Amino acid sequence: MDAKLKETILNPIFKGNPITVLVLGICSSLAVTVTLKGALVMALSVIVVCGISSLILSLLRNTIPGRVRIIVQLVVVAMMVILVDQVLKSFEATYAIDKQLSVYIGLIITNCIVMGRIEAFALGNKPWPSFLDGVANGAGYGLILLIVAFFRELLGSGTLFGIDILNRFGYVPNNLVILPPFALILLGCIVWVQRSIQKDLQEK
Amino acid sequence: MNTNNNVYTVIYTTVIVVIVAALLAFVSQSLKAKQDANEKAETISQMLTSAQYGTKAELDKLGNAAKLDKYAEEIDEAFVIDLEGNVIRELNTERENLEVYSPKELKRQNYNIKGGANKTAEPELPVFVFKNGRTVVPIYGAGLWGPIWGYISFEKDSDVMAGAYFDHESETAGLGAKIKDDPSFQKEFVGEVANFGSSNVIEIVKGGAPKDAEGKSEKDNKVDAISGATMTSQGLDAAIDTWLGAYSKYFLNHKGQEEHCGNCQHNHNEEKEEED
Repeated sequence: MDAKLKETILNPIFKGNPITVLVLGICSSLAVTVTLKGALVMALSVIVVCGISSLILSLLRNTIPGRVRIIVQLVVVAMMVILVDQVLKSFEATYAIDKQLSVYIGLIITNCIVMGRIEAFALGNKPWPSFLDGVANGAGYGLILLIVAFFRELLGSGTLFGIDILNRFGYVPNNLVILPPFALILLGCIVWVQRSIQKDLQEK
Repeated sequence: MNTNNNVYTVIYTTVIVVIVAALLAFVSQSLKAKQDANEKAETISQMLTSAQYGTKAELDKLGNAAKLDKYAEEIDEAFVIDLEGNVIRELNTERENLEVYSPKELKRQNYNIKGGANKTAEPELPVFVFKNGRTVVPIYGAGLWGPIWGYISFEKDSDVMAGAYFDHESETAGLGAKIKDDPSFQKEFVGEVANFGSSNVIEIVKGGAPKDAEGKSEKDNKVDAISGATMTSQGLDAAIDTWLGAYSKYFLNHKGQEEHCGNCQHNHNEEKEEED
């Protein structure tokens, strides 16, 4: 059981990463990775939404009528997303980031990772493993977001978390890196690196 | 238990939805005060940006409290006028009870200006005069996907624009969102002359505004539109025309005057007496 739980947590981080292996949540990973701060807030939001919706739906799983289960999932996920959005709007520190992320916080509802994990895992498993599965998938998503945002902020603005790193050495920020297509190029590189380490993912 | 029973399904979904709705309403109510405070500070920093007290990025580095401090320090007078340009009432400019118009209030006034079924009262238009002599007025209208609004500042008693800041709810990132994200678009308004009294106070034109010999935009009422964001540009154009049109009489009354009108002067004296 313990080994299985460990597998639940570790699998989505690397071997079954939702972005690089399952190719889910690509849209938002292009949009919110211009700055590390934005990526971090987005990653934490997805972790919270994914973890808690999985927990709630796993608790309800034996009572949910089969024919309307997608609607019930949607209601719970939407509730969590609105809660996260409301909380982000309430704090001075996160208000500006919430404004910067604008629609993308609301669009967590449409992130396939959330509904995908609920449908595939939470509805068939006990609450605790479901919660961990949700959190781990959110973390796997967040990890890739942070890697992409690290390179985009460093090369695109010359800063990390808004702190000047390269500009003081006369670095001229590269505007291409700021644009979404570069995030796709970076994602491709990450997939390339992962597949060369993990040979069983390579298609023959 | 048979969870596929029709009655069970209906009751189950109803209960879930009611619980979720109640929870969200409760959370929204309890966080409202904090969110309003954040929104107020944001509105203030947008007005300060428009009045050229710094770029938006610089002002955003200040905290909420510092933004309110700066506003209370720099505001000269704030009042509400009607369509004829007459002052109806003063707005509070004390640090603790600052009165500004939130986008929600602007929306209500937008209906009042336009008239029609949604009109609830005669328009009450806010005017903010800062100590650097600039007069800031808001605009509000519809973009492509949702509301857009902003603040335009004018040099003292003139129709020459000193700055502009625009914001939006859900315009397309990289295209329509440039009204907010692209400082060079907002800079285009600086120095342009509003044509008060006509139906086209400011024109946002496709294909380039007229340029002078040095390749700079002529100081007329024409501003370059944003490429790829025709609908947002048109929406902004309409919003500016509607709102500055409503302010026309106020600005025409004040144009070229060194001192304020007698009525305002009177109010000043009253305030001084109270302070004494």
